[in-house]
Amino acid sequence: MTMFHLARRQPWLITVLVFVILAIVNTILQPSFVDPTVMRSNLSTFLPLILVAIGQTYVILAGDIDLSVGSIVALVNVVTVTVITLLGGTLGAVFGGLAAGFCVGLLCGLINGFFISGLRFQPIVTTFATGIIFAGLAIWVLPQAGLPVPDAYWQTYTESLLGLPVVLLVLIFGAIFTLVVSRLPFHTRLIAVGGNRTGAFQSGLQLGGLRIGAYMISGAFASFAALCLTGETASGDPLLGASLALSSISAVVLGGTALAGGFGNATGSIVGALVLGMIGNVIFFAGLPFEYQTLVQGLIVLAALAGGVFVTRR
Amino acid sequence: MTNALEAVGITKTFGAVRALTDGRLTVARGEIHALLGANGCGKSTLCKIVAGAVAPTGGTVRMAGADVRFRSPRDAERAGVALFYQELSLIPQLSVCENIFLGRELKNGPFADRKAMKHRANDLIALFDGVCGTGLNADAVVGDLPPDQRQIVEILKVFAQDAKVMIMDEATAALDGRQSQRFFEILKAKKAEGVSTIMISHRLDEVFAVCDRITVMRNGVTITEMDTASTTRETVVHDMVGDVRAAAEKVDFIAGRAPSLTVENAFSASIRGVSLVAYPGEILGLAGLQGQGQSALLKGLFGSDPFTAGSIGFANGAVQIRRPSDAVMNGFAYVSGDRGRDSAFQGRSIFENIVAALMVQKRLKIIWPSQLKPQVNKVAEDLKTKFAGLDMPIGTLSGGNQQKIFIARWLATAPKLLLLDDPTKGIDLGAKADLFALMRQQADAGATIIFYSSEDSEIIDYADRVLVFNGGRISAELKGTDMTSVNITRAAYGDAA
Amino acid sequence: MNSNQSRITALIADPLTIAIAASVALLLIGEILSPGFAQGTQIVRLLTVAAILGIVAAGQNIVILGGREGIDLSVGSLISLGAVLAGNMMNGQNSGIPLAVIVAGGIPFLIGLINGIGITFVRIPPLVMTLGMTAVIQGGLVVYSQGVPSGAAAPLLSGFINQPLVFGIPGILFVWVAIAAIMLFVLRRTSFGFAIYAIGSNERAATLVGLPVQLIRTLIYGFSGLFAGLAGVCVIGYTGTSFISVGDQYVLPSVIAVVIGGTSLAGGAGGYLGTMAGAVALTILQSVLITLNLDVWARQVIFGLTLLALMLLYGRQKKLRV
Repeated sequence: MTMFHLARRQPWLITVLVFVILAIVNTILQPSFVDPTVMRSNLSTFLPLILVAIGQTYVILAGDIDLSVGSIVALVNVVTVTVITLLGGTLGAVFGGLAAGFCVGLLCGLINGFFISGLRFQPIVTTFATGIIFAGLAIWVLPQAGLPVPDAYWQTYTESLLGLPVVLLVLIFGAIFTLVVSRLPFHTRLIAVGGNRTGAFQSGLQLGGLRIGAYMISGAFASFAALCLTGETASGDPLLGASLALSSISAVVLGGTALAGGFGNATGSIVGALVLGMIGNVIFFAGLPFEYQTLVQGLIVLAALAGGVFVTRR
Repeated sequence: MTNALEAVGITKTFGAVRALTDGRLTVARGEIHALLGANGCGKSTLCKIVAGAVAPTGGTVRMAGADVRFRSPRDAERAGVALFYQELSLIPQLSVCENIFLGRELKNGPFADRKAMKHRANDLIALFDGVCGTGLNADAVVGDLPPDQRQIVEILKVFAQDAKVMIMDEATAALDGRQSQRFFEILKAKKAEGVSTIMISHRLDEVFAVCDRITVMRNGVTITEMDTASTTRETVVHDMVGDVRAAAEKVDFIAGRAPSLTVENAFSASIRGVSLVAYPGEILGLAGLQGQGQSALLKGLFGSDPFTAGSIGFANGAVQIRRPSDAVMNGFAYVSGDRGRDSAFQGRSIFENIVAALMVQKRLKIIWPSQLKPQVNKVAEDLKTKFAGLDMPIGTLSGGNQQKIFIARWLATAPKLLLLDDPTKGIDLGAKADLFALMRQQADAGATIIFYSSEDSEIIDYADRVLVFNGGRISAELKGTDMTSVNITRAAYGDAA
Repeated sequence: MNSNQSRITALIADPLTIAIAASVALLLIGEILSPGFAQGTQIVRLLTVAAILGIVAAGQNIVILGGREGIDLSVGSLISLGAVLAGNMMNGQNSGIPLAVIVAGGIPFLIGLINGIGITFVRIPPLVMTLGMTAVIQGGLVVYSQGVPSGAAAPLLSGFINQPLVFGIPGILFVWVAIAAIMLFVLRRTSFGFAIYAIGSNERAATLVGLPVQLIRTLIYGFSGLFAGLAGVCVIGYTGTSFISVGDQYVLPSVIAVVIGGTSLAGGAGGYLGTMAGAVALTILQSVLITLNLDVWARQVIFGLTLLALMLLYGRQKKLRV
């Protein structure tokens, strides 16, 4: 097997390699990178993207796309903080807020899935449109950034549980989720739907249920991301997550999943998201003038997208 | 004894087209049953209805004596019917094992039991031990496999369902002799276990070697059922053909003429070494069962699916055809029978649909409808096309008139080689007659015409010479009085005429 | 009689008619809500705003017409780029206008071509490619302008857009009419226009008649960039100065205007007259919503729902089982 074949079969290996190189470069540029506190803070910065990318993977595997993830994050964030405030900010209120946020995420996914799979709308423009609606609703719920959450919320998020940082636990949860799902028949069926829709139908698969399921997972993970972001920012912001749609798609492609669907896995997307985050880090610590950072990051993302699409194309 | 499967009075209409008027099929438990008929006789539609992939318009399907009504392929599968899909239902990105068990995975708790599935898959693959070549294993990715192994996987997918009735629609098309042999051995073993097989095949040899009984269909109706042992090939062919047709006097074009087109040893995904010559003024017919390489040859000549090997000579010179624009510049024209997919600019006007090829060939930059319309109108009127105006959308025309427009598109470019790929599919008789008159007119004006038709009678009536295809090769060349429906059907089923 | 009837039905169901009728109805609603809304000068004002949207939508129009999920989300950042570049070239001087137009049109044109190459040859889905390009352009703008654009519109340009030229009509409306004439000519009378419809209607059939499908698809993204850049020049003329996200507000309306005007999201059907009507209708709708004192969120939700409703009418995909 040549290097090229290996790269085509397991494209995420390249991403892992890039990840290692970036980690080394990062450590050289910023010696405190390996410091546990710095690692924890880095991880909590990367976590929302990682979570959104996990959800996005399942949608893309089935041959669809979800551009509304950023808006779902914003909507879940403001709903959560609003519910917590309305319920009086007690511990019970926090749990109520978390539950409400999670349900909103699931519901958004269900709405997307309904339009796309049920009514046969084109996925790209549909999630573009629902994204605008979700973002509008977020502004309606909370017109301006604010509404601090109880200290217990963000303190728990930044602290440790069972000797491990909570952010690490969330990451581990995400990784285990992807590994578990990859062993379910559901995963193979999603790939079949994305790989050859007619063939999947002829093989007797329930396309509708599978595609809606993927959108609901995406909505659920967008809500996890929002809950983490809430822990990080400790308040609500209706304009959160605007760039998450593009960066989650980039992370998925970097993780070796074919943008056209039918190939890949969500574990790779975690690595893809980490790479994207570390690129930002390296650019920052490389001493590049501030104004160049967005440009360089944008170029890298675009190049990665092009490269990823090229390698995983079949 | 009750029959494994009975289908009675099945009808199916697609829009205005009647695909089945009286489909009937009775399959006993533990028999191999051949379903035969010419192209478009409804055999594939009948199979898809029995397997739940197509909803019938009317009629009854019974399994083991009880009425069943399938809403999806999954329904049929639960009842014990498994269908082999001619257009493969495999997912290229998945492994052999994942494909075989797609939608019916073996489970260990909530998880896919990969070990068990792999074990089972390897057992299934072992059925083809020694004949399937190297590289076919449970973990191989289907997209990487050659066509014959992919077809074996599709077959194994059917076997894995442990069905009571298996429908094998051209399941041996991509297999070589030894692979087919093994396939039939397996079917016979299954028969002993009480499993029934419905087999559609383009090889009469196979049918007579393995099938117990034969059902013949013609024009959407089941004509006869018979025991293989008590019938002959001649009877079967005659039943498929119906009224025997023979060609009228044919002009011999070959005498004293130089060919305009020569193809030597052409290969592509579905043709395996085709050589032919065609003459100016000649209408060369291509016949045979569907998908035996006729369309692939025309697409190769036009560059939409270029030959992977072989050479093309046209008008005394070698030509390179890598893409359709090469063909257009050489004066080739291609009209497909699949109008919706290959020809129609849906939602655009008749005028736009016609000038598309002309503007490519003439490298027009600016289009003045007032200048082009008289010319376009003339071509369309020569074809006796009925339309309210050139500005009407193409969709306002009937299928036959649309097809005339797509032919007009190419006539406007004055083609020297006209490639017609089953051009009369789904169009009415009047339009067909106009079309053939026009073909003759073009041929008389010196064009070379190659046309494939899924209806043998069209070839017999209108072609000057016919090449019959079977399995990607030319199995017979028929001329003059040899051009009969019986000879064509025999050659189409792989029997030398 | 029957054919007359069906012709009338067709006319009523025609998106162009609907868009014009909607515009008139919205004007009436506006007039009822706030007398003076439908006044002459006010209408000219609305048309001026619609013209800028209409110019962006011209590019969006051909991209969507070209099919294969064609869409250009980079128009917003390209407008910003055009505006910033034009501002810097002019720097308040009338003599800088020609250079401003060339640079502000040319660079977005080249960027659009890059979009087209990525979409056609690397096969990145249009939406993802143009969204990715948006991030790059925004980054580039930060570098180029150091965060705060320095240029300003030339007085002549501002006057051309904001002041009446003849009969109380500002120059930009004449420019819009000229662009419309060019668009209509290209789409209806040139092989390039015919080819755009052809690849959008049926890419396979277009390949089979020998059209250079990939070249055409690349070019239409280039032209979308060009129109966005020119719209950027108009934007800076309209507002006098620019900021680096000045074009963002045009992205969604440009798509909606095209779809309202009857251009199918699937490609291959529609035209620029409808898009113009769509741009006008949308501008009046925005104005009415503002008159109603509707909040940003409500306007956003209404826009999103409009797009979904339009998808229900025009944008559904095929069924699998027959």
